[in-house]
Amino acid sequence: MTTNTSTGIRFAYGAMSAVILGFIVLPLVGVIWMSFFSNKILAFPPQGYTFDWYARAFAAQEFREGFIVSFETSLIAMATSLVLGVPASLALVRYNFPGREIITNILMSPMIVPGIVGGSALFVFFLEIEMLTGVQIAGTAPGLIIAHALIALPWTVRLVSTSLIGMNRSVEEAAYSLGASAMTVFFRITLPIIKPGIIAGALFSFVVSFIDLEKSIFLVGPGKTTLQIALINYLEWNLDSTIGAVATVQIVLITVLLLVTDRYAKLNRAF
Amino acid sequence: MTSQAVAIDTSPMNEQPKPRPNMTAPTLLGPATIFVVLGLLAPLALMFRNSFNRYDPRELMVSAFTLENYARFFQDEFYQEVLFRTVWISALSTLICLIAGFPLAYFLVRQASDRLKSKLLILIIVPLLIGNAVRTAAWMLILNDQGMLAAFLRMSGYTGSLGLMYSTTGVVIGLVSVLLPFMVITLHSVLESIDRNLEDAAASLGAGHLTALRRIVLPLALPGILAGTLLCFILSMNAYATPVLIGGPKFHMMAPTVYQQVSKAMNWPFGSALAFILMAVTLALTVGASSIVQRRYRRWAE
Repeated sequence: MTTNTSTGIRFAYGAMSAVILGFIVLPLVGVIWMSFFSNKILAFPPQGYTFDWYARAFAAQEFREGFIVSFETSLIAMATSLVLGVPASLALVRYNFPGREIITNILMSPMIVPGIVGGSALFVFFLEIEMLTGVQIAGTAPGLIIAHALIALPWTVRLVSTSLIGMNRSVEEAAYSLGASAMTVFFRITLPIIKPGIIAGALFSFVVSFIDLEKSIFLVGPGKTTLQIALINYLEWNLDSTIGAVATVQIVLITVLLLVTDRYAKLNRAF
Repeated sequence: MTSQAVAIDTSPMNEQPKPRPNMTAPTLLGPATIFVVLGLLAPLALMFRNSFNRYDPRELMVSAFTLENYARFFQDEFYQEVLFRTVWISALSTLICLIAGFPLAYFLVRQASDRLKSKLLILIIVPLLIGNAVRTAAWMLILNDQGMLAAFLRMSGYTGSLGLMYSTTGVVIGLVSVLLPFMVITLHSVLESIDRNLEDAAASLGAGHLTALRRIVLPLALPGILAGTLLCFILSMNAYATPVLIGGPKFHMMAPTVYQQVSKAMNWPFGSALAFILMAVTLALTVGASSIVQRRYRRWAE
């Protein structure tokens, strides 16, 4: 610790930081708290506590279905992003070729193009394909999965590339010198070494896909509505503790996933 | 390190064991690149083309090459107001993020112990990834007239109505809370790269804390400040959930307007034009801001 900053300054930073952290974190704590209020109409102070809102959230078809659709879509998007992203990261890190910069930018572009813009472009693209071929994509599971895999891919590439850059390659060299084939080296040496990066990339891409709102909103359909869209549709007309219960479930799920991710790769390095 | 060129030599005659991976970069990169090109870049190109088409209530879209969609934007004051509101709300939210984010980032880097810092970083990043729907819902439960904030204010004797829902202030509060973690994390990484000895040296020469901040830390942190500011500004320009839910149906910002045109009104040409105007304005403002700051930065550094 430095000796130059006076106690007053240290206290000032501590106090400001506490207020700002509170601003970031307290709303979420508030939602969790409110999800247990027994008040029929949302009001303060609480008259008592209950689990009723959770039963109601679970009974509501839109939320149950939304959770399942979101979970399945994110899981498939995550798998797709791994299948596409791990080989791509390997090539980006290991090979030097003309156009590498451009390819990197292309692979990262889903992160840069605003969700609403990318979502509306994809929506119109799907509808034009439908007009030409008669195959419906918008509003179906494959359409949602394509959108979500696009959201997930750049994060997978980023996290897997980071762990590839950080790995010591001498073990691979040794395996090659002992006659191992490229495939053997990849599956027996490289993959186990970068496993933490891959797990972190997978969990992270699951999360960013699960919480997506801006792209999904164009592509949901009857029976294929993600949880985030179900939430904002509900919020447009209602404000009660059912929302609090759904929010709490999502907060717990994502917090757990991110805490696991953090064990494999420090979360702040992902940004 | 091994230096590998892209080996295109994969002739079947050449069967002896190879000491280096024989998978070539194009095979590894091809699927992912094609996926992004088809899923994002091609649709964007098509959208750009569509922005020059003509809208027809019966046939939806008629192929044409007209500037009328862009002209409509510049003739209709409603849409200019929407853009103007989006820009100033984004600028204001970003400024608040910067002012609020700096002390927290500085605290993390200079004053928190390593253990505390890694805990707090998780506490800052997790809300970032909870999702805008849930975070905005949380603010709605707090800001509405029967909400938590109103209740606390009543306890402290304030009896007027809060009126934060469906207000600009409410939207700014919501946006700041969504964007603040991005700012803190960006500032945190740049502050961490600044040698703390420089501040100690300044202090030992008699500079007060604020002087050291202004003369040493801020100039060195400028690239990170710029990066964080641009990130928050871009995200805010494109915000959807906050303006729709906290702002309500009468509060218009650009991203919800694009959604409205493309998905509800099915006016693809005009919706596409709006989307490209939004991207062009965002790009122009961010490039403009960064070139001004960089010019100033050079002078500062000299």
